[in-house]
Amino acid sequence: MTSSSQDKTPLLEIDRLSVDYGLKGVSLRAIDGVSFALRAGEAVGLVGESGSGKTTTAMAIAGLLSPNARVSGGQVRYRGNRLPIDDDAAMRPHRWSETSVVFQGAMNALNPVHRIIKQIAEPCMLKLGMSRGEATKRGSELLQLVGIPADRGSAYPHELSGGMRQRVMIAMALACRPSIIIGDEPTTALDVITQAQILNLLGDLRSQLSLALILITHDLSVVAKCCDRVMIMYAGRIVEDGTVAEIFAQPKHPYTRQLIESIPNPASGKKMIRPIPGDPPNLVNRPSGCAFHPRCPSVMGGCATEVPSLNKFGRGRVACHLHRSLTQEDKVAVHA
Amino acid sequence: MSDNIVRYCPRGRARAIKGFLRQFLSYGGAQVGLVCLVFFLVVGAVPNILAGPLQTAINATGDFLAPPSGEHLLGTDEIGRDVLNLVLHGARISLTIALLATVISLVVGTTIGTTAGYYGGRVDVWLMRLTDFFFVMPSFVLALVITPVVLEVMGRGGEILGFRPSLFVIIVVIGMTSWSFVARIVRSQTLSLKERPFIDRARVAGSSNFGIMVRHILPNLVPQIAANGALVVASAIYVETSLSFLGLGDPLQPSWGTLLSLAQRAGAASAGAWWYLGAPGLCVLTVSLSFVLIGSALDDTFNPRRRVIP
Amino acid sequence: MNGGGGSRHILRIIVRASITLLMVAVLNFILFRVIPGDPASLLLGGARVSVTAEQIEAQNQRWGLDRPLFPDQAVDYLSATLRGDFGYSFKFRGRHVADLIAERLPDTIVLVGVAQIMAIVIGVMLGIYAGWRRGGAGDRIATGASLALYSTPAFWLGMILVVIFSTALGWLPGYGAYSPGLITGSLGSFLDYLQHLTLPATAVALGLIGQYVVVARAAMSDVLTEDYMVTARAKGLTNGQMLMRHAFRNAMLPVVTLITLNIGYVVAGAITVEAVFAWPGIGGLTVEALNARDYPVLQGIFLLLGVSIVLANLVADLAYSLLDPRVRQ
Repeated sequence: MTSSSQDKTPLLEIDRLSVDYGLKGVSLRAIDGVSFALRAGEAVGLVGESGSGKTTTAMAIAGLLSPNARVSGGQVRYRGNRLPIDDDAAMRPHRWSETSVVFQGAMNALNPVHRIIKQIAEPCMLKLGMSRGEATKRGSELLQLVGIPADRGSAYPHELSGGMRQRVMIAMALACRPSIIIGDEPTTALDVITQAQILNLLGDLRSQLSLALILITHDLSVVAKCCDRVMIMYAGRIVEDGTVAEIFAQPKHPYTRQLIESIPNPASGKKMIRPIPGDPPNLVNRPSGCAFHPRCPSVMGGCATEVPSLNKFGRGRVACHLHRSLTQEDKVAVHA
Repeated sequence: MSDNIVRYCPRGRARAIKGFLRQFLSYGGAQVGLVCLVFFLVVGAVPNILAGPLQTAINATGDFLAPPSGEHLLGTDEIGRDVLNLVLHGARISLTIALLATVISLVVGTTIGTTAGYYGGRVDVWLMRLTDFFFVMPSFVLALVITPVVLEVMGRGGEILGFRPSLFVIIVVIGMTSWSFVARIVRSQTLSLKERPFIDRARVAGSSNFGIMVRHILPNLVPQIAANGALVVASAIYVETSLSFLGLGDPLQPSWGTLLSLAQRAGAASAGAWWYLGAPGLCVLTVSLSFVLIGSALDDTFNPRRRVIP
Repeated sequence: MNGGGGSRHILRIIVRASITLLMVAVLNFILFRVIPGDPASLLLGGARVSVTAEQIEAQNQRWGLDRPLFPDQAVDYLSATLRGDFGYSFKFRGRHVADLIAERLPDTIVLVGVAQIMAIVIGVMLGIYAGWRRGGAGDRIATGASLALYSTPAFWLGMILVVIFSTALGWLPGYGAYSPGLITGSLGSFLDYLQHLTLPATAVALGLIGQYVVVARAAMSDVLTEDYMVTARAKGLTNGQMLMRHAFRNAMLPVVTLITLNIGYVVAGAITVEAVFAWPGIGGLTVEALNARDYPVLQGIFLLLGVSIVLANLVADLAYSLLDPRVRQ
């Protein structure tokens, strides 16, 4: 999809990316042929249970795969150039300058023995070549930007509340003016009110600094608050992709539907939330065909044998045999 | 951890034990340690069959400080005793002392740890203060000053439960001074266990405090006690060897440490009699290393920390 | 990090150390009274030394042996101990125990000091390296060797060193601290002392190295699994920057604690090594006291070991709270 205009080139393209983990000679596929594109300033949510591959996808984009991980197929392109995501040293210039990460549970993500200002200023010194004084000044500005008084910079991480630490993480992520921020469950350990504040902050900063945001979460309601688009992952594959409005109004994949039904929603008046029956998929013994078929209420012939491909459907994409026929009809309609 | 709670369920327990053994035996260190340990336990059990009765100055058969030969595989000592014979008998003494001292240490440590953790409050504070003292003061230092005094009080003649008094005292003193680590770990485990619902259930069902501790808390402490027990044995061997080397052992029931002490007094090092001091030292090294390896393999089995996928 | 919390923490550490020291003294007192025989003549060396009636009288008076065991005698004992009065040696003809110990202490301090430095330099570096490259061949060799060292009594290593380097090769002396006939204070006698020091210091150091490698390696590999190391990597730091700025200081916490603690423990640990080499320090004194059943000397040594251990623990606690801001609360 080479395009003439600058605007149409996506900021980030993930192209049929597969990552395997090696484990005592056995290798298991954490993500399998994941493809999507991210435009500058866009906010995308990656949603799934643990083991769905959402974190592996994010870490691959950031070039932070662990040593026992192997890129077994596909590529990641940033501004049209292929990223050397399986080469630790070659990825170093890209990290934090272009893509930074807000990790979950900022307690351990911050080094407990260094003052927070030092941790925020560190990448400014090492990556932007600022002097200690300049870097500290920038650190103070960033703290104020995320709503922390600059004089708190001399605090150690354990002296701050969970929400404050998460703000520090965000300030740190902004240090080198990246174009993409990956939020890895950035609000998971927080109470609801703090969660809302952090999400608002992320949203504000995104529009203020025109950042692209990739939000990794197991919680669809978080995505609903601050993303334009959402991708649902299951057992290492994207099963549905669409705008937030579409997905909530008309979920197409049975798994997406169940995810939405499992959100507790006091406004809707429904007392019972419906948990998804069955166990999350076991990646070592991945179910044949569509990995969701053992838990799927709409399972039918072919689901257990044939892997559904991720096809365009309306303005989004879906990988489900229920909708395969429809897409073919669509094509027929288009040709006709 | 939460799903590892032991409840009465024989079949589940058998399966758990089988799974545990498979995991434990997958560590190379555990295999090496077990093989060495079984070897020395067999040797220690039947030294008479393997090498005849313990040799003394009277029934010694060899030359003085003769190097290894076909007749004396590990050479002889300064009064012509066969070093192999001495080392095999030493295995029995050293292992018995270390294992019995460990049993005492585990019993004392577990009792104090569970009591402190279960009752809490003032009992906990005082017991932990006592534990702190023994935690700070190493067993070797305490035993160094307590052992000679107790021996002076009891006298060095006769036998107690088949042991010469000095060995008996060493066993008890090592056992009574090396329990603090076990007590600390057991206490912290008890603290977290007693908050679990099944303890409340037992209490509601009318179990006594003692009953709860023995029937519900103790079984769940077995992993910690086992892993630390192996390390306690290693340190007991170390302390016993050092004390005996300083002359607190008993020449009539020589442990490996006592043999090293005799070798030192006989000037074996400056005489170049490497077989005399090498053999007991290598035995100490092997057995002690075996217990360390087994202990750390047990620890790894019970607390699998490293996960493959982030 | 308020000042009140910090100083309360330090106060608590000091109180705990004082309680432990008090218990050492009480244990010493009890052990001393348990020994059968007349305490006065025991104090003066029993039947092994001829003593006059005045000396016994003076002893009785000094220790208040005619008064009740508690509180009078106990209080007297404690106050004498606090003044540095540990009584008289049996073996050394009624010499002050404190003097005997003071005479022997410098040689022990030199021995354990040199050994500590050797062990820190080699052990910590090796441990950090093994932890950083965990799973590699270097790690396996270093870990295996240090586990073996860790399981070996240091004095036996000393004996082996004597057999190899002294008896077989004749490179270094394996007995005592001085060669006879050298003028003290000369360069020759200093070099001679260093030669005598080499083997015992190596033996003590080998005993420590095992520990340092094991602990430094474990600390390092624990730190490497921490989330903040992922953060550091995500920030685009090089391996060297990650090691120096984030891993090293955090991994040093347990290592520094162990090193400081060992300042106290190593004196006791060196006793057996000193016995092997007839090193004229506290260890040599201990062996002589044990052989002669010289209880006052033994108890003086026990007190010395107790004090050094408790002090080292105290310093370790304080150092830890300096290095780790989390503890200061």
